[in-house]
Amino acid sequence: MFLKHLSLTNFRKFTRLDLDLPQGVILLTGGNAQGKTTLLEAIYFLAAFTSFQTHADRQIVNLEEAKKGSLTVTRLVAEFQREKRRHRLEVRLILEPVGVLNGQRLRKEILLDGVKKPAGDVLGQFNAVIFVPQMSQIIEGAPEERRRYLNLALAQSVPAYARVLGEYNQALTQRNALLKALSEGLGGRDQLEVWDEALSRLGAQIILWRIGAIQRIEHLAARVHHELTHGTEILRLAYEPAYDPLPKPNGQLGLRMNTVVDRSHLELDEIQSGFRARLKELRNEEIARGVTTIGPHRDELRFLANDIDLGDYGSRGQIRTALLALKLAEVNWLKERSGEWPVILLDEVMAELDLQRRADLLKYIGGSEQALFTTTDLKLFAPEFVEKAEVWKVESGRVEKA
Amino acid sequence: MLLPESIQSLINALERLPGIGPKSASRLAFYLLRATDDVADDLALALANLKKNTAFCEECFNITEAGRERCEICESTRRDGSVICVVEEALDVLALERTGGFQGKYHVLQGVLSPIEGIGPDDLKIKQLIARVARGGVQEVILATNPSMEGDATALYLRQQLEPLGVRVTRLARGLPMGGDLEYADQNTLLRALSGRQEMS
Repeated sequence: MFLKHLSLTNFRKFTRLDLDLPQGVILLTGGNAQGKTTLLEAIYFLAAFTSFQTHADRQIVNLEEAKKGSLTVTRLVAEFQREKRRHRLEVRLILEPVGVLNGQRLRKEILLDGVKKPAGDVLGQFNAVIFVPQMSQIIEGAPEERRRYLNLALAQSVPAYARVLGEYNQALTQRNALLKALSEGLGGRDQLEVWDEALSRLGAQIILWRIGAIQRIEHLAARVHHELTHGTEILRLAYEPAYDPLPKPNGQLGLRMNTVVDRSHLELDEIQSGFRARLKELRNEEIARGVTTIGPHRDELRFLANDIDLGDYGSRGQIRTALLALKLAEVNWLKERSGEWPVILLDEVMAELDLQRRADLLKYIGGSEQALFTTTDLKLFAPEFVEKAEVWKVESGRVEKA
Repeated sequence: MLLPESIQSLINALERLPGIGPKSASRLAFYLLRATDDVADDLALALANLKKNTAFCEECFNITEAGRERCEICESTRRDGSVICVVEEALDVLALERTGGFQGKYHVLQGVLSPIEGIGPDDLKIKQLIARVARGGVQEVILATNPSMEGDATALYLRQQLEPLGVRVTRLARGLPMGGDLEYADQNTLLRALSGRQEMS
């Protein structure tokens, strides 16, 4: 799929922007702080309905407008082509004053082909994969970053994922509130079972989806990584679910095992009943601590190169290569699942790669329908590549053909 | 700008109502301020009488007129006492009564389990339900709580509590609405309808 037209209103520094986009490669050039990355952020927002930069949607509303305190609408409109058909996707973020005091409230509306729809129904209609330098946090950062990455990737490709995850979090909040009350001696323990049921049912589904996704992405990423490192490194994605449906070998509970674990044979019912049983075993401990200690909200994913944990011991170069492999795998994975190329968004990646890897990267995305690069320096690209690409100049929130 | 206290306290009181946010609350308050006296007086009287003239049925905890011990449905001899339909709120009784398809009796829980809001089994009319069933004469309990996460959790809890009493426990079916279009059903409903499909008879 590819974008044909993008229109932004009050999106960060773009008070107004209308762009017709061609198929193929688009190079966005310009100095720092001119709006190149913001453009990528906007396109990604249309795919994920959230920003990769911030967890707070409010921050993407144009600051000057938001400060005025009156009703402010941030609008993102994309016209894109998918399977030869044109669609129109619109996201509105409405910041409105509330009550007589100076409060503001943010409302999000999503329209597909002019019809208002819940986010869960539209996720996956328009797909994009984004690669930004600060994404090394996925490998180096806290486990939360990796779960966020997994959630965003899965939400784009599994239609029901976002909804089930939302319900899981709802069940989790209820269960934690109950555990907290029980730890203070309020209420009866017999209530726990009903929340165990909800948590394990929804949690098992999430675990199952994660097992499938990680396995496939690992397979695809390892292949790319093998080529990028010319066969010197083997990349592995080790999923470590906080509730592990596979029994651990005796006496090695606390050890970080680097052996390959195959969970692909597990079935939903099996995971759920195991999860529920484990919750029962942990009941006393969880009541004492007042929180749910196992489940997808505590899952961990580790990246290993030649069995060495990149989060702990990876060099910057190794992490960058692994990330590149991961992102390219994500592109392939989305393509496998939807039959369509996602739009590829790459922010300042060239400066970080050596010549060979630059060439490799361009080779991998050569077949895609649309890719947007940002760069401060066109010289990082091979002249024949620039020749074929569309080059645009971004300057203080305006986009022009160079 | 600081509002006079009487207005601010009305806004605060209105804001505590379900479905009313700060914006609606201030709009209502200022409307009442500007409207003729009898609008505010009527409302005040209606509110005062609301609690005074109503009571809860001691059997099923549905709303009834003050002074009555049991509601019309519980007292009726034509209703089948061996089937009890458990609902969340009194309004649900109204909805089921409109269908005319249920001839048993009701039990209103007056809420659902929700630990976040601090609502546990003791805050609902669950003990009273168990006592009612334990007294005998009940063959079936229909759990008609809403198909939400909290409603499902409450239904599951009730099933556990009712199990030892040897009574038949059923749950309302879930799925597609009548006259609905498959095409426009949301994914969740459609999935549930698919998993709850039935043999055609």
